[in-house]
Amino acid sequence: MSDVGFHLAFWSLSALTIGGALMIIVSRNLIHAVIFLILSFIGVAGLFITLSADFLALVQILVYVGAIAVLMLFAILLTPRAARDNEESLMRYPAMILMGLVIAAGVFVALETDWGPMREGAIGTQAKIIGESLINQYVLPFEIGAVMLTAALVGAIALARQDDEDLPIHTASLIEEGVLPPPDGDAADAPAGPGDDS
Amino acid sequence: MNLPAAEWYDLRDLNGISRLITEWVADWGPDWLASILTGVIGALGVLAIIGPTLLILIWLERKVIARMQARIGPNRVGPVGLLQPVADAVKLILKEELAPRAADKWVFFLPPVLIFVPAILIWGVLPFGPNMSVADLEMGVLFLVAISGVNVLVVFMAGWAQNNKYALFGAMRVIAMSISYEIPVVLSLLALVFFTGTLSVNGIVLWQQANDVVLFLIFPMSALMFLFGSTAELNRTPADISEAESEIVAGYHTEYSGMRFGLFYAVELANTLAISAFFATFFLGGWWLWGLDQWVPSWLILLAKTGLMYFVFIWLRGTLPRLRLDQLMSFCWKFFVPVGLVFLAVAATQRTLLIELGWDPAVALPIYAVINWGIAGAGVAIYARTAASPAQRLPSRPVMARGRLGGLRAARELADAGSGD
Repeated sequence: MSDVGFHLAFWSLSALTIGGALMIIVSRNLIHAVIFLILSFIGVAGLFITLSADFLALVQILVYVGAIAVLMLFAILLTPRAARDNEESLMRYPAMILMGLVIAAGVFVALETDWGPMREGAIGTQAKIIGESLINQYVLPFEIGAVMLTAALVGAIALARQDDEDLPIHTASLIEEGVLPPPDGDAADAPAGPGDDS
Repeated sequence: MNLPAAEWYDLRDLNGISRLITEWVADWGPDWLASILTGVIGALGVLAIIGPTLLILIWLERKVIARMQARIGPNRVGPVGLLQPVADAVKLILKEELAPRAADKWVFFLPPVLIFVPAILIWGVLPFGPNMSVADLEMGVLFLVAISGVNVLVVFMAGWAQNNKYALFGAMRVIAMSISYEIPVVLSLLALVFFTGTLSVNGIVLWQQANDVVLFLIFPMSALMFLFGSTAELNRTPADISEAESEIVAGYHTEYSGMRFGLFYAVELANTLAISAFFATFFLGGWWLWGLDQWVPSWLILLAKTGLMYFVFIWLRGTLPRLRLDQLMSFCWKFFVPVGLVFLAVAATQRTLLIELGWDPAVALPIYAVINWGIAGAGVAIYARTAASPAQRLPSRPVMARGRLGGLRAARELADAGSGD
């Protein structure tokens, strides 16, 4: 890896990431903040590429940019008045203290970690290695994650689902008006019902 | 590949030229200059394909759809109307570009430019020949999926910034549809990845070449899922509810005028072209065609297949009426997702039988094809019998909306419910 290109990429991507992160805090409009957050995510994906972690970079874009950011945009859009302004809040000072502690912890971890293995460079076909370790070594966490995701999916459907009584139109009234075929399949005068046609 | 010696004039390996240039630069220049030059050459090559092809494709699309609808189509500007796209482009450039006063200025200006980024980037992993892609990524399929997901965000920015409810409706529809149909597209590609055992786009083509078969024959349902799922992600006609003119003006680009609208339009066509090329690569063998690639330039074969797939997209657009939002959603979630999961298991099983038990591909692949076509047919039949809205052969009266929601009747029922209980 040539030094000039690497440094160019590293510094510009770092500027993108940190600049985006700063603008999240500075911008008063929440939608703008999310857009800057996406910019920051893309910068992090680029940094992963400079570390030869292509798989991680692509997953970063796929999950964070493609899914989580969209989810955030939806959440902001569906929250009344949230899209207009980011107002003053009494929780500012506790949040500042908390974030200070988090940053301190991050710096501590970064300083204390042994970065030796990082200098050895990439470790070959990452998708294959990740897949194999997910199926062999980490199969239990993998399965637990899968079950949790399924449970979340089922829970979301259960929450969002309307019961049949709550629907504004009853199927019965539609059947009365002849819009829907009667359930027992009266083929004489009703139009062909489900399963009648070949 | 046992290509003939790659001379600079050999059309079969255009990559030879760019390799010569980059090697020449690497001789005297620093490394990073050669890398940058490779990127620039690749980007220029991609742009050189997209730009002129777009102009021809616009004309082709209008002409073919006109024929399908028993019209003549553009025939005034230039011979057989060939210059019509140029005239349209000039008109769009000259038109005044308006911006709503209440629009969010920066977020309004950015999307027509930003939407080009994913549209150009996905061409990077497309192999035009054995060694002929801008970046033959080890994880090309994942790259394709990840990059085409970024489109959604740009569309959302566009729809939100205009401060127009129709634009926002359009953007919401695009997001709901793209996120839903991303699942069948990913599932179909995942089945291919399971079966061929590679995440590289070129690797999938090489697998088809090694086994002398196109994957369309083995995974028909994955091909259908990829085709229709991409139609939905591209907002093309059977699934273009995001810009349904009869409902929400022009969807997410309602307030964009002049060349800004033109850019959205161009990117839509470029994406369609790219998806046609990727369909040709994944399911029709890409640059490979039973040995013909030894005699004809491989990129020409790919372009021919791409053109064929583009015609299929036009055909779909000219034939099928627009689906309703709930029909699209239930088609995705009740049909494509279960069938896609079934085919994921099928592909994994068949791959295991092929590799672990050492079955002969020449015997196993035809059997797999028969089995998979059978499963696909059974899936379609089961869906048509159970979950699909029933077909009426002889409706006794015009029926517009047969779902449970919508229309005057819904309003009346609501009013009744409010006053009654």
